[in-house]
Amino acid sequence: MARTAVTVPWSVVMTGEQWVTLRAHLFPGDRDEHGAVLRCGIARSPRGTRLLVRDVVVAEDGVDYIPGDRGYRKLTAGFVAENIDVCAEQGLAYLAIHNHGGTTDVDFSDTDMASHERGYPALLDINAGVPVGALVFAANAVAGDIWSGTGVRHRIAHLRVAGRPQRTLTPQPVAAALADPSYDRQTRIFGDRGQQILARSRVAVVGLGGIGSLIVEYLARLGVGELILIDPDRLDPTNLPRVVGSRRLDAMGWLRRESAPRWMRKLGERLATPKVKIAARVAHQASATTRVTSIPRSVVDADVAALLTDCDHIFLAADSALARRLVNSITHQYLVPHTQVGSKVTVVDGALADIFSVSRMSSPGSGCLQCNGLIPASRLTEEATSETQRRRQRYVNDDDVHAPSVISLNAVAAARAVDDWLMTVGALVDEDVPHDHWVSYFPRTDEVVEHAPKKRPGCLHCGPGRFATGDNLPLLAKPV
Amino acid sequence: MSTTTITAAVSDAIDELRETFPDATVTVESDGDGGAWVLIDPVPLGPAYIQSTSWIAFQITFPYPEADVYPLFVRPDLDRKDGAGHGEGFGSVTWGPHEQTGTQLSRRSNRLDPTVDTAATKVLKVLRWLAQQ
Repeated sequence: MARTAVTVPWSVVMTGEQWVTLRAHLFPGDRDEHGAVLRCGIARSPRGTRLLVRDVVVAEDGVDYIPGDRGYRKLTAGFVAENIDVCAEQGLAYLAIHNHGGTTDVDFSDTDMASHERGYPALLDINAGVPVGALVFAANAVAGDIWSGTGVRHRIAHLRVAGRPQRTLTPQPVAAALADPSYDRQTRIFGDRGQQILARSRVAVVGLGGIGSLIVEYLARLGVGELILIDPDRLDPTNLPRVVGSRRLDAMGWLRRESAPRWMRKLGERLATPKVKIAARVAHQASATTRVTSIPRSVVDADVAALLTDCDHIFLAADSALARRLVNSITHQYLVPHTQVGSKVTVVDGALADIFSVSRMSSPGSGCLQCNGLIPASRLTEEATSETQRRRQRYVNDDDVHAPSVISLNAVAAARAVDDWLMTVGALVDEDVPHDHWVSYFPRTDEVVEHAPKKRPGCLHCGPGRFATGDNLPLLAKPV
Repeated sequence: MSTTTITAAVSDAIDELRETFPDATVTVESDGDGGAWVLIDPVPLGPAYIQSTSWIAFQITFPYPEADVYPLFVRPDLDRKDGAGHGEGFGSVTWGPHEQTGTQLSRRSNRLDPTVDTAATKVLKVLRWLAQQ
C-alpha cells in the first residue's frame, strides 16, 4: 500500500466551462450517483502540485457507469481503459470522478478506498508513473485520493474553478481567519473569507508604467498577500505625471535635461530608479503584510516567465506583443487567468483620432488574445528582431517619440481591471456572467463597449495543442 | 557563438523548407535568440528580371509560427529587363549576421494564420509575388 503524504499540497484546477459541464452531469437533480473521468496536465512548483483539467469525459449512465460488484456503481472497464490509454499517450494524470450526497462535507467511503487500492497500482503502472486517482464531489465540496509514481498517496487541499465567479471547493468547510481591523470597511463587502482569499493570493503585474503602477497600489491596499512585479525599464522624466509613487529624483531629470552633455544624460538613464523598485516602494507603503518580488527584467526571459505559471492571476499592463503572447499562452497552458489592460490615444496628422482604455479579463479556455487578433504577427517579428537588424531594415521607431498618455485614462482601465478581478475572486459576480469580461471605454463619445471574445478551433494558445498541458510543454518564452 | 537552442517550431519550419525546396541548398544559422537565419539557394525569379535565379534569405524569429516571416532578401543586383525601378516593397539594405548586401522585399502578412501559414508558404507567396511584378 502506498504511503500518505501530508506535507506537499496537491490541488486541482478547472475552468468555469468545465465546472458547468461536470456539475450538470453529477448533480442533475435526481439525487443519484454519476461518474466521469478528468484527464489532467500537471504543474509542479514550490507551492505544490496542481492537476490542470484538460478534458472532462462524462460517463453515460447505464453504459459507461453501471451497477458495481462491490459498491453501488462503477465505471466500466472499457471506459477506464479508453481514458487511461489517452492519459498514457499524452502524459496526463487520470482522475475518476463520482458524487455523493451532501453539500459542504465529503469523503470517500471504505468501499471507494478499497477499490482504489485494488485498481490504482495497475493504472499507475499503465500510466508510466504519471499520477492516477479519484475525486468525490458533494454539491459544494470535493475530496481527492491521488496516487503518484513515487509511491505516495496525496489528499487534495482544494479544487479551484478558475472562472467567473472563482470557486474553491474543499473536503470540509474551512474557517476564515479574522481579518485585520484596518480592512473593516472592505470586509463589510466580502467578509473575512474574502479578505483571506486576497491575503493568500499571489498576483503578478507585468509592466509597471502608468497603468501597472496604479494596479500595484490598488492590489497592495486591498491586502493582496504576494505581488510579483516585472518590468525591465527605469523611470523616464516623461513618466512622472503617470507612474504612481515616482519622485522627481527617481527620474534623474537634472542629469537628463536636453542641454546636458550626452555622457551625463546616459549616466542619468543608468541611475534612474527601476520601475519595479518604485512599485515595490508603493506596495510596502500601502501594506505592511504584502510580500513583493521585484524583477527588473523582461517577462519574456524564460526564467522570469516561469514565475507566472504559479500565480493566481496576472495583470498584463505592458505594451508588448511578445509579452501578450507569453501571458496569453500561460493562461491557457497553466489555467492562470489574466487581465490585459491598456489605454491608447491615437493622433493622426497632429489631430486626436481616438481615445480609449480597455480591460480584458480572460479565463482559461475561453478569452484568448491570439484568437481575437490581439497579438499582431508583424509586431512579434519586429520585437524579436535585434535593434541593429531593425535599423538596417528601417523598421525602427524613434525612441524619443513617446505615445500620448494621461493618468486619468490609465486609472479608468486599472480600476476596471482590479475591480473585475476582485468581484471574481470574492465570488461577488453573478453566477451567469460570461467567463470573460472584455470592456472598452471611449471618453470622447461616452461609450462603454463590451466585447465577446471569439474562439478559433485549433488555436496554438487555447486549443488542444497547449490547453492545460502544464509542464508537458515549454513556455512560449525566449529560450536560454 | 550562441548556444541558444533553436525552438522546435523553427526547427520544424526549416525541415519543411528543405522538403519544399529539394533542389536548393538550405543554409541555417542560429540567431542566438531561439530563431534562425535561413538562406535558400537557388530560387527562381520572375520573367521581369534579367537574372533568372537568386538566393532568398530571411530570419525566422523565436515567436514563430505566430510571428510573421518578413522581410525577405534576395540578390543585391536584381534588375528588371525593362530598366524600370522596382517600386514599392523593394529596398537596398544590408541584412543578417554577416552584413551582406541584398534587396529587401517588405511583404507583411496582415492576416497570418499560424495554424496554416508557415515559413515555406510565405517564401512561396513572396516568390509568386516577385514573379508577377
